[in-house]
Amino acid sequence: MAGVKGKSGGANGGPQYNPANISATGGDGQSGKQPAQYISGLPYGQGQETMQQQLSAPMAAAANPQMSGMGIDLPTLLGETMRLSEPTSAGVDFGAGPGSEVLPPSLGQDQRPIENKAIVEKYLPALMQAGRSTDAPDSYKQFLSYLLKKMQ
Amino acid sequence: MNSWIAGGIYDNVDKFANSLGYENAAIALTLATIPWESVDERDSFIEMLTGEMPQGGKTKNQFGV
Repeated sequence: MAGVKGKSGGANGGPQYNPANISATGGDGQSGKQPAQYISGLPYGQGQETMQQQLSAPMAAAANPQMSGMGIDLPTLLGETMRLSEPTSAGVDFGAGPGSEVLPPSLGQDQRPIENKAIVEKYLPALMQAGRSTDAPDSYKQFLSYLLKKMQ
Repeated sequence: MNSWIAGGIYDNVDKFANSLGYENAAIALTLATIPWESVDERDSFIEMLTGEMPQGGKTKNQFGV
């Protein structure tokens, strides 16, 4: 008697029959070995020969592709410290340990004003030259005045 | 001295600086260097960014400053 899909034994429509139900990592298999795979397109006889070689000396299964750090429990903000010799307040200007002076300069200072000033310095000579044009609008000259004040 | 060119880089500087605000001078200068296809394209971008018509450049220099 033919099985009713999902209601009887055999081909019961379980998840193993769903073609979309595949392992994202390829799975580890059960044998711990790579299965033999027939290589087509080889000269006559060599396909069978390589198949026999694979069957007689199977290759070990490939290493699990999962990233090695994925199993590590990352610390939480308020959890126990992982640096037992370092106060939790190290790097801030209160509590025990060194203050913010030990942090890299890029963390302690907003770099944008410096970068912005560099951009303005780069363009300012040409901008000033254009500002001498008799057709330059007032709004442009006001902007130049603002830049000059800022650069002082 | 050369005439002011609408859609030229300095005109772009004027429009972006006055539309975005002088405090955003650096980004205004950077946007001004983009080779805009046309004045309309540039102005549409400013309008999209600020929600207002482009500012600046409406009045010519009247005082010879």
